Amino acid sequence: MIVYLLTPEQADSLKGVEFMPDNLFNPIQDANGNWIITEEEVSQTSIEWVKDLPQIQYEPIIYQLE
Amino acid sequence: MRILTRRDTGLLTQWTFGRSIYQDETVAFVNATGISDATTINAINALVIALKGYGIWTKMKAVYPFVGGTATTNKFNLVNAADSNSAFRLNFVGGWSFSSNGALPNGVNSYANTFLSPATALSLNSSHFSYYSRTNSNAAEVEMGDNVNLLMEIRTVGISYFRVNSNTLLTFSDTDSRAFYLLNRSASNLSNAWKNGVSQVSSANASSLLSPANIFLAALNSLGTPSAFSTKQCAFASIGDGLSLTEAANLYTAVQAFNTSLSRNV
Repeated sequence: MIVYLLTPEQADSLKGVEFMPDNLFNPIQDANGNWIITEEEVSQTSIEWVKDLPQIQYEPIIYQLE
Repeated sequence: MRILTRRDTGLLTQWTFGRSIYQDETVAFVNATGISDATTINAINALVIALKGYGIWTKMKAVYPFVGGTATTNKFNLVNAADSNSAFRLNFVGGWSFSSNGALPNGVNSYANTFLSPATALSLNSSHFSYYSRTNSNAAEVEMGDNVNLLMEIRTVGISYFRVNSNTLLTFSDTDSRAFYLLNRSASNLSNAWKNGVSQVSSANASSLLSPANIFLAALNSLGTPSAFSTKQCAFASIGDGLSLTEAANLYTAVQAFNTSLSRNV
């Protein structure tokens, strides 16, 4: 899965910001500590610099659940 | 029959012989969401009528029908359609996709905050949680929970896991996660988990504590931090008081009829 790479400063700037009405960006860190957002956020936002973010392969954090 | 319809103000005010043909809750929900599709409005109204007829409506704290195809139309609570946290209106965070089939989380960073904390809104010995999943998945994902005293973890490696106001797990083997799931506690020593209107597991485990955390949909709420993000498209969810065995079965009947009328039943 492809996701979009952010700097820590870019991640901070997107927290709490709507990428479309009533849906907020949620920058998270992947298993390698990279700040990322997803295709759904990038494709539905009108913020131009977000659309130019570099793409990387998603490396999920593996949760130990039940 | 004389029907007067007035939509020029954007407000639903349909009347028959001076009396609304819609339930008050339907009118409030439609006016909040701005939905105008007749099939959707009638489905919502039939759902409200069915839940009232079954005696379930008054047990509901939050009912999320997930209709209209946008975050704005999906966020409202049918029980209280005010646009506020105290009305348990959803706050969508991360990469969601919305369509006529419901709300689809991406399994990476998306969840919805209900602002409903069991400790303040529910009772220790009377609680239920439901989630209508349209996605068949078999990964470590959580649909609701804090992983201490509340958990709805639908089908992880063939097993579904549940906790309700207790740290005791209820489990059952699960071969397909496309279904209506219900987690229910109706007494201090009675909890059960349901799939498609059929009780899958029941336990006499004692209730111990209500979760203080806000319930997130499509993720685990770990002390305010979401994790274990779900990929399961949601076509209905509810949170409320505990249900009797008959009420639990009837809730499935009402929800399945609702989703069938919208051609999105599984």
